[in-house]
Amino acid sequence: MPVEFALAARYLLGLGRRTHVATVTAISLVGLTLGVLALVVTLALLEGFQSTIRGELVRLSAHARVSAASGRLLGDPDGLARRLQESLGDATVEEVVTGSCLVAGPGGTVPARLVGRSDVEGVAADRVLAARLAVGPGDTVRVLSPRTRLTPLGPVPVRAGLEIGEVIPREPGAGEGGVLVAPLAVVQRILWGRPAVEALELRDPADPWHLAARVREALGDRRGSLRVEGIGDLHRPLFLALALERAMLFLAVGLMLVVAALNLLCNVAMVAAGKRRDLAVLSGLGMAPARVRRLFLGLGVMIGAAATALGAGLGAGLAMVLDRTGALPLPRGVFAVTAVPFRVQPVTVAVVMVFSLILATLAAWLPARTVARREPAEGLRYE
Amino acid sequence: MSDPMVRLEGVCKGYGEGERRVEVLRDLDMEIGRGEMVAVVGPSGVGKSTLLHLIGLLDRPDAGSIELDGVPVASLGPAERAALRNRLIGFVFQFHYLLDELDARDNVALPLRIGGRSRREARERAGALLERVGLSGRAHHYPDELSGGEQQRVAVARALAMGPGILLADEPTGNLDRESAEKVFSLIRELHLKEGLTSVIVTHNEGLASRCDRVVRLDPASTVTHV
Repeated sequence: MPVEFALAARYLLGLGRRTHVATVTAISLVGLTLGVLALVVTLALLEGFQSTIRGELVRLSAHARVSAASGRLLGDPDGLARRLQESLGDATVEEVVTGSCLVAGPGGTVPARLVGRSDVEGVAADRVLAARLAVGPGDTVRVLSPRTRLTPLGPVPVRAGLEIGEVIPREPGAGEGGVLVAPLAVVQRILWGRPAVEALELRDPADPWHLAARVREALGDRRGSLRVEGIGDLHRPLFLALALERAMLFLAVGLMLVVAALNLLCNVAMVAAGKRRDLAVLSGLGMAPARVRRLFLGLGVMIGAAATALGAGLGAGLAMVLDRTGALPLPRGVFAVTAVPFRVQPVTVAVVMVFSLILATLAAWLPARTVARREPAEGLRYE
Repeated sequence: MSDPMVRLEGVCKGYGEGERRVEVLRDLDMEIGRGEMVAVVGPSGVGKSTLLHLIGLLDRPDAGSIELDGVPVASLGPAERAALRNRLIGFVFQFHYLLDELDARDNVALPLRIGGRSRREARERAGALLERVGLSGRAHHYPDELSGGEQQRVAVARALAMGPGILLADEPTGNLDRESAEKVFSLIRELHLKEGLTSVIVTHNEGLASRCDRVVRLDPASTVTHV
């Protein structure tokens, strides 16, 4: 080990003999440790909630969607579905058609999104729509299509009566309006009057996040005329909001680390002032200014590294214990989980540690640079 | 002097700015021969320590030139000055100025470690030097566990660690009782002769100064009187 780092370690270990410096160093250490701990726990909490949301998305939403690049109906949807089913093996491929409609029930008439799916047998209303219409399983609603048919009285909207089979949870990111899901043939008749298919929706619970890439590969030469969206594309606003939330929280809690780093700066400056004579002697013995700078930089980085390791270890441990014990319960029926979820991601912890170390290095750099610029005789004159 | 170890020409040094400026050394010329032991005496504030700091490359003159072992030092950068200090100059200060966190052996080994020697080699050499100054039994003692005289002897051993050509001592006995002062000065004198050092010793002690090869007396006008 270079002598300047060995000396920095000795200074750190020998601080216990000097009460005031030891106290300030302990405060710096505790401050940085708490900052790292808070950041690790906060990000684990956020990741816990966000992974729950992602899990719900995977459970309820399509993992990939194939539609016509022109925005029109799909040509030869059955052929395309067969081709994808053969190529993708375990993935399920469903034909889908969607459109806007008015739905009337005992609670009134509300606009809704009508979804027809080939894998659905009964009619289902999501919770929002069921609540607005004041309907439940067994009730009948009337659907008014934007499509008209010609009658002796002139064009009138196509209407259909549908019996609600079940009320389903809302898909995350579904927007404000209600959703009515019905068998594909029923919706095709209401919206188009013919077997039109707007898109194919695919699901592969084993690998939902890469399904779109596999679909693109499977489409081969037909790729140009089709639009393939993955689960990330289908819920882009939601994912952007989650990413923004993550970044803002990192910045906000990261400010704690900045404050702790400023405290470290004061600590290193204080040690430098206390060691003024030693530094003059070290210079007198031939230690070059760059090495003097490294000595104090090493001192700050050692404090920073110790605090970072301690904070990261304690933070990750605390988050894991809280997650496994379910120590922070949530009201049943309100959230998808029964306790506050924590999820420690090694990459996130590594980012926090690097951030903390960079701040500690910057905090130590300023006093270290100032010390190294002094003429050695200055330190001796003050004695 | 044909080939002096230390040469100062027209050296000026002052501190402060404007009306508060104090000129400590003015147009000072001095030469110190190889192997010579010179005592620098004079009243407090006359610039004795400043002179030592300038010769020891701990400070830079405002004007004039300094040559050490034939090397003009004005053009040297900070790193080169540090390297020259490490290789050529040994310091003994009035107060021992040992590092509190290191024991006697590691304090003596410090210049060697700074000079790039391995830890083992530096410790071996430090152990031998402590033996030479009669402190082999105190190698693992920390400075606050040593007496004033012992601390200063450790400082002398540290000054000689790199086998320097020049020994600079700033009132090395100024903080010691008479007996310890005698021991430390005798040690410096003995090592000066054995190691063939060029020594510059700042002292207020006229008795010790008179035992040097030459006495240089500084007065407030920076006039140098050779006694």
